[in-house]
Amino acid sequence: MADQVTLKIDGDVVSVPAGTLIVDAAKSVSNDIPVFCYHPKLDPVGMCRMCLVEVGTPLRDRESGEPELDEHGDQKINWMPKLQTACTVPVSAGMRVRTATQQVTRARKDVVEFLLTSHPLDCPVCDKGGECPLQNLTMSHGSGESRYLFDEKIQLQKRVPLGELIFLDRERCIQCARCTRFQDELVGEPVIGFDKRGRALQIVTFSEPGFDSHFSGNTTDICPVGALTTADFRFGARPWEMQHTPSICPHCTVGCNTHLNTRRSGMVGGTVIKRVMPRQNEKVNEIWLCDKGRFGHHFAGSSDRLTVPLVRKDGRTIEQSWEHVLPLVAAKLAAADGEVAGIAGERLSNEDLFCFQTLVEGLGGRTMQWPGRMGGGDLVQQVGVGAGTDLAQLGAETVILVVASDLAEEAPLWWFKVRQAATKAGATLNKHPASLVVANARDTKLDRYANHIVRYSYGDEVQTVQALTHAISGDGAGIETGIDAQHNPLLSEVARAIEAAENMIIIYGSEGLDFSGSGALAQACANLLIASGHVGGVGNGLLPVWPSNNTQGAWDMGVRPAGMSVSEFTSGAKVVLLAGADPVGDGESLPEDAFVVISELFKTDTASRADVVLPAQAFVEREGSYTSGDRRVQRFYPALPALGDAMPDWNIFVRLTALLGLGTVPAGAGAVMRQIAADVPRYDGISYERLADVEEQWPHVGGRDSYYGGTAFENSAGLGLQTPTLAEMGHQVQPGNVEPPSVESGEFLVVPITLLYDRGSMLLRSKIMHQRLPEPYIELNVVDAERAGVGAGDRVALRVNGHDWEMATRVSTSPPEGVILFPRSLAGPLLPRTMVASLRKLES
Amino acid sequence: MTPKEMVVTLRDRYADEIETILERYPAEQKRSAVMPLIFMAQREEGYITGSAIDEIAELLDIASTQVVSIVGFYTLFYANPGGMHRIQICTDLPCALRGADEFAEQVCENLGVKLGETTDDGQFTVEAVMCLAACDKAPMFQVQNSSGLTYYECQSADDVNVLVKELRTSPDDLDETVSG
Repeated sequence: MADQVTLKIDGDVVSVPAGTLIVDAAKSVSNDIPVFCYHPKLDPVGMCRMCLVEVGTPLRDRESGEPELDEHGDQKINWMPKLQTACTVPVSAGMRVRTATQQVTRARKDVVEFLLTSHPLDCPVCDKGGECPLQNLTMSHGSGESRYLFDEKIQLQKRVPLGELIFLDRERCIQCARCTRFQDELVGEPVIGFDKRGRALQIVTFSEPGFDSHFSGNTTDICPVGALTTADFRFGARPWEMQHTPSICPHCTVGCNTHLNTRRSGMVGGTVIKRVMPRQNEKVNEIWLCDKGRFGHHFAGSSDRLTVPLVRKDGRTIEQSWEHVLPLVAAKLAAADGEVAGIAGERLSNEDLFCFQTLVEGLGGRTMQWPGRMGGGDLVQQVGVGAGTDLAQLGAETVILVVASDLAEEAPLWWFKVRQAATKAGATLNKHPASLVVANARDTKLDRYANHIVRYSYGDEVQTVQALTHAISGDGAGIETGIDAQHNPLLSEVARAIEAAENMIIIYGSEGLDFSGSGALAQACANLLIASGHVGGVGNGLLPVWPSNNTQGAWDMGVRPAGMSVSEFTSGAKVVLLAGADPVGDGESLPEDAFVVISELFKTDTASRADVVLPAQAFVEREGSYTSGDRRVQRFYPALPALGDAMPDWNIFVRLTALLGLGTVPAGAGAVMRQIAADVPRYDGISYERLADVEEQWPHVGGRDSYYGGTAFENSAGLGLQTPTLAEMGHQVQPGNVEPPSVESGEFLVVPITLLYDRGSMLLRSKIMHQRLPEPYIELNVVDAERAGVGAGDRVALRVNGHDWEMATRVSTSPPEGVILFPRSLAGPLLPRTMVASLRKLES
Repeated sequence: MTPKEMVVTLRDRYADEIETILERYPAEQKRSAVMPLIFMAQREEGYITGSAIDEIAELLDIASTQVVSIVGFYTLFYANPGGMHRIQICTDLPCALRGADEFAEQVCENLGVKLGETTDDGQFTVEAVMCLAACDKAPMFQVQNSSGLTYYECQSADDVNVLVKELRTSPDDLDETVSG
């Protein structure tokens, strides 16, 4: 805890940690000093001059050092001759600040007037109008009328694309540099910058594509004017005419808190989502969102959504009502004699998965998580990262080990926060960075911030982690490992850092690993955490980079990966019941003679094969909850009316359960959560009411003080609750046996990797993202490329699993020799794991 | 993209100079070399080409946009092509009082261009600039070309005609020792 410093701001005595800036100290006593360039998450620059205040310090006797007193016995104050910027001056003991004097009021008025000298004042057509700091602060501090003639204003371009996602209006820009500083300090990607000077200054991008960053949308939130707008919302609606619904981003395992802004649209003839905005949750996404979360919402409003139940009859699909279709499905399920194979997607909500599991279990059937390619969910329940951990706040006492994950692509906000912990860039009083270890077989974006980079070969992930445990346990403690950390200077250095660290978090992924391989890696990581004593507390434990948003929820609800192919799993099944899963589209097959029932949003390949297709509601149309990788259960709310006859998945399953006489229908999603709390271990005490609990967060956002923190929404709908781990509940957790996976050998090893921008069903339906989605490609090492006679951009045929796939080639030094990196969900085969392949150049 | 196309890079042409410049800065602070590298690159074409920007960014491991920002900030760096010789006349207040405006007009007229324009042969660009700290010797200007910067003080339009003739006939004979 930093030392407290006491000062006086106007009449208020304020006590704040040393190093706090005057502007924030004032904020803590609700004294809103106006700012434009200052942002509580960024380093101060003092560029806009809006925060000018009078500052004085106690006068001290030069000889004795004692404070000098006036005739009344009060301290004499040495007032600085000129106004000071409250955003750059840190507080000091006994400091006096005056924010309401005539001089300060005059200065604020002058600064606003200066900023408006050439501002177009086009608020009536500006997207920011209604939630604009410049508009608000002009109203509260500016002059009532302008001394400048409209004709004298400089006319500049009003539509400058910084890439196809973000647009710049040069006339509105007040040159505060919030956007460029955000990209530089908090993202580490300075792909936008200032060009020229003075009135000619403009924001430019020179990256390819323009504004090449996964976080670009955030600059439009913190822009204090309407200079930066998103292509998605530009001229879309006025802020005050939209409805606000709290929600959770459905894209990845981070679980970013969002606000869905909706409005009736004449063009569509119904209510639509106009924009997705961040909702503050400092432990999860702070006040940020990645661009996939912000712009990738259009799948829900896609015109090819299923709206009525479909039944296959004599080779034709016909539309049916729920009254007809549910009894038909129930009869098939009842007649299956327990030969029911249930396959549920990891994207479904906890309520859906719980009701799905209850139904299939009640029938004596079996369930499988789809795709279910990553293991370790049970270990996360035991030694998961401690509740209350904020990755960005981790400091010098912590080692963060990231293994087998390209965090920037798989969980952008965790990458953002881990980078923050490792650099301590931006505004933070803690300037002592955490120690970051990145272990992967190839370069990833996080390497740049790592204290140690561990390079292993694909297949050696588990052994590498075991070697660290071995080095820590000293005598080896019966750990078999093919890698000797004792004689590997890098690994022994990492081991020493782990031993010395007070806290340790291991973030593990599944790159290059299948279900059992990633399960083994999770076990090896758990063993390392247990051996080094880093379980069961804040800043300690295991954090899984799950492939989907609710994989953890699926594990918790009992829907687990089967560890086998779909054809093996469904073999002998009379009814296959699927929910939010498309195994056929991923190249799997279902038994010919089985009756197939599916609940889905879209007519997927599996839905085309199904005998009954049930239309499901998208997350924006219903209530529910997701559990993120850090076991945080978070609620989302209905933002749009139901589409056609679509029903929430959970409702479909409980109706079937009731028809089969296996249970009753709960009153709503909240009642399902009560059942979950009663039945699922570690969910006791969780209810919709408690998930809606909030507490005060720093910085203030949401308009209470003229959007000082940007236009991210204040969180009034719930911060979520983290389920406790066994370690946190005081259980003695034992290390387990690890069986390292074996690696095939061949000409090339094809390793599936995850990209944030893929061509999956969600992003393909968000047209705004299309230019950012790469064409199908593989990436190989320069040495291999030369050997195979292929160059960058060449078309190649990749032969894997008996099939040829035509792809473009990228060549770099990132993949190890003998490895072909194969991005998932671009096109072609779903590779369940690393596979051997050969390569042939195609003549152009 | 045509990867097989022959592109002469800065590294091909100035390998030694680049090395010398980089040696002046600690390896972990090599971004500090951005100014001398831009200056070097400008010598090549009289302005900074897009490929030079990318190459400098790559050499220093910074974003191209950051190099663009620096080129944009300094008035002596050019992002667009101009004449081989840039005649930069100070027209700030003290110089204007000593007739800099009329002087600039005459120079432009003699060369057949307007302020900011380049002669048809691509040799000269005339520009009005801010204070060059020689107010007492106005009208004055500096010439920026591949040799660097050269001051010319207490000038008349006729003096400029002579200079233009010299520069035009023997651009290679410029005495490098006068460069600033």
